[in-house]
Amino acid sequence: MNAPQALITGNGDARQTLIVVFLRGAADGLSLVPPIEDDAYYKARPRIGIPKNEAVKLNGFFGLHPNLAPLSPAFAEGDLAIIHSAGSEDQTRSHFEAQDLMEHGGVAAGGWLGRFLRARPAPASGALACVAVGKALPECLLGAPTVTVMQTLNDFALGAKSPALRPELERLYAMETGQLGISARDTFDALLRIDAMRTTPYEPANGAAYDTDEFSDGLRQLARLIKADVGLEAASIDIDGWDSHFTQQTLLPPLVAKLATGLAAFRKDLGARMATTTVVVMTEFGRTVQENSAFGTDHGRGGAMFVMGGGVRGGKVHGEWRGLGELEKRGLSDSYADLPVRNNYRNILAPILQRHGAASEQLASIFPNFALTPLGIYAA
Amino acid sequence: MNFSRRTFLTLGAGALAGIGAGCDPKRARTDIWRRIGKPTAMPMDGSLKAPAGTEIDEVSHAISRLTFGARAGEYARVAAMGTPAFLDEQLAPETIDDWQCERVIRHEFDELGEPASRFFQRKANLTDPLQQMFPGLRTGGARVGDLYEFKEKVLLSDLTRATILRAVLSKRQLFEVMVGFWSDHFNIDPSKAECKWLKTADDRDVIRGHALGNFREMVRASALSPAMLWYLDGRVNRSKDATEKPNENYARELMELHTLGVHGGYTQQDVMEVARCLTGWTVRDQKKFFKGRVEFHVDLHDDGAKRLLDVDIPAGGGARDLDRLLDIVALHPSTARHIAWKLCRRFIADEPPVAAIDATARAFTESKGDICTTLRALFTTPEFRAPEFRAVKFKRPLHFVVSALRASNAETNASNELVQLLLRLGQAPFRYPTPDGYPEEASHWQSTLLWRWNFAAALAQNDIKGTSVDFEKLSGALGGDEAVMATFLGRLPGEAERAAFHASGSGLALLVASPAFQRC
Repeated sequence: MNAPQALITGNGDARQTLIVVFLRGAADGLSLVPPIEDDAYYKARPRIGIPKNEAVKLNGFFGLHPNLAPLSPAFAEGDLAIIHSAGSEDQTRSHFEAQDLMEHGGVAAGGWLGRFLRARPAPASGALACVAVGKALPECLLGAPTVTVMQTLNDFALGAKSPALRPELERLYAMETGQLGISARDTFDALLRIDAMRTTPYEPANGAAYDTDEFSDGLRQLARLIKADVGLEAASIDIDGWDSHFTQQTLLPPLVAKLATGLAAFRKDLGARMATTTVVVMTEFGRTVQENSAFGTDHGRGGAMFVMGGGVRGGKVHGEWRGLGELEKRGLSDSYADLPVRNNYRNILAPILQRHGAASEQLASIFPNFALTPLGIYAA
Repeated sequence: MNFSRRTFLTLGAGALAGIGAGCDPKRARTDIWRRIGKPTAMPMDGSLKAPAGTEIDEVSHAISRLTFGARAGEYARVAAMGTPAFLDEQLAPETIDDWQCERVIRHEFDELGEPASRFFQRKANLTDPLQQMFPGLRTGGARVGDLYEFKEKVLLSDLTRATILRAVLSKRQLFEVMVGFWSDHFNIDPSKAECKWLKTADDRDVIRGHALGNFREMVRASALSPAMLWYLDGRVNRSKDATEKPNENYARELMELHTLGVHGGYTQQDVMEVARCLTGWTVRDQKKFFKGRVEFHVDLHDDGAKRLLDVDIPAGGGARDLDRLLDIVALHPSTARHIAWKLCRRFIADEPPVAAIDATARAFTESKGDICTTLRALFTTPEFRAPEFRAVKFKRPLHFVVSALRASNAETNASNELVQLLLRLGQAPFRYPTPDGYPEEASHWQSTLLWRWNFAAALAQNDIKGTSVDFEKLSGALGGDEAVMATFLGRLPGEAERAAFHASGSGLALLVASPAFQRC
């Protein structure tokens, strides 16, 4: 059995964890973080704009969607940063292409998070160094040295009905040399640790109350792994369904609430451990500035990103914002336009990765063919 | 009155009198497909003699690479006929009587019927009530437009389940293995737009229609596949006038993935020229009659002169530009090398030996892209047969699961539970988003070992709905534990394996989860 210090991999004593939340389907940044002091916003969205009196006030100019209210303490306490007009250079406005490009970190083999985990001097290698909550490996984690795809901690078990199977497999795989043997040993290692956790019920700290939806539950499991020091360095978790082409007012509120209550509970639960944990929330692109005829919005360009924890310069909307006066044309239309991408997602991820141990020269291979100008989301 | 467009076309107005308001044929059909069939296994017959060597021999090696894994009795059968005859047999799938598998597929998934190809003649069955209702099914599976009568989830489920069932049950194993290979090579994610319906036709007419045919013909079929035209945006690749720039999505993947390969020596200019050659090909809009039909619009075609890979394509070619382009790329030396490398990587090793790639590429070129000839060359290279390349490939998840079902002679209906397990392992058919298809190399697949082990335990405990194993019956038929182990491993067990088998409390789970069973 491994000595306790071996539980900590890659980033050593720092024990930093990066959680990537991907809002799939293109979340409408102008509903999540509406520019409530800009009349142009209400002109563009006469029926579906977030009313000024309902929005959570941030810094005067921007507000938060009312259902993001659970996150306003994080913002007020300087633990949550917002970047507006964020996104990628992808012009296809295709979910698939844009997610792919963003998760790959450009036109590159493997995903940006996978490359990060592999590129560092001490690559992440424990079976629980990286967890993808869900059923499949997300593109951003392609190429990672190891990823465990799981829905819940209870999944991480073996042969409850045939207890003799595990030791026999362990014996056989111990004879394996090469990558298969390493992967197997990582897996047995992780099983031991998870077994120990399973035998005790989990009590979230600080009175944190997680909801019962998959997102909150996934975050609960991740919080537990972080606090158990199993060496979790990166995790991904998604919320699907943001593609609000019609009746946005009924589609978005439950999703926004899910996002906010999950993240708020997670932050509360981790308490002081948030200082070494970063949560980044991203989406493939934003949506049209103007509403469409079906009370919805269509595929656009700039959206909103959120960075929580990990010593971020929170309580602030970072990055370039030039208002709704200068929009990006969509095709030939003069009346239907997009918020331009003024803050490339890589310039937000790069400083996060640096904080999580990437050397600046490694950033070039994590985000190839891109001239980085990292945003100042951390104190210099 | 609620009836479908196609019913109107096939039955004619007179027959409609018989279809009342409460009898919606669309719904009726959908419900029929939803009824999941009985689990099936192939009968165990003939000699079931298991391998008796301590190492993987040539017979076991050929079986494990050319098929989705050995069934009980397969070793004895191939040993008796010899590997050359086995190769001959597998390269001529039309000569293999595969009625048990065919029956399952036709019973449950009639819309997936085989294409009319040189391999398979579709048989009309006048007593089949579905064929009575839909005469089109008598000749070639549902026509493209017919597919729109199905709910898209039904089609994806049918296609996925049929793919698994064919891999498990078919005697045309190399054909099914190659279907998997080309499905990745010409990957289409059905989740994109109209591909939800059209991928079914692509699977039937492009992949299965040409899996052991001619490569150039397959590329051509793929280029004109309505699903591919949707998936890689060929349908919007047009050039009405000089101001309209062609859509290069398909052109790039045609060069990078389907033919020359990323290092195949083409330039961005070549990609643009390919796109120009293909302008004007599109798919009939979803809202029109004959939706899904592929059409060429000469007014949307850039009919100027093109120059591709240093070859001139004169102006005025119109739709024939497609064939000119295929003449240049489909059998290009880089294409031969790219395809040979991929095949050798699939069938020999993740890093295949250069000599085998050379020999395979030569056969590809000399046979003008005949896939059977190319495969025969590969399987007869010294490298393919060399002991050092035996049991060095890591089974991808589908191969792993299917090989376990085959070795254990499991009865299965490939229910959704099984598909969910495959998703957990990372590879269910038709769920890969990017055009490059599921990766081949071991490194992509080794982080989900736990789920392989859990699959093994679930299989042994008969915990997978729609799939069951009678291990005692299998063991009895094979003649004891040693033979069971040898059937799974393709050789006699080592001391450690034998000890683990007996001590594990579940010999079947242990075998399926063992390191040796992860390899082929």
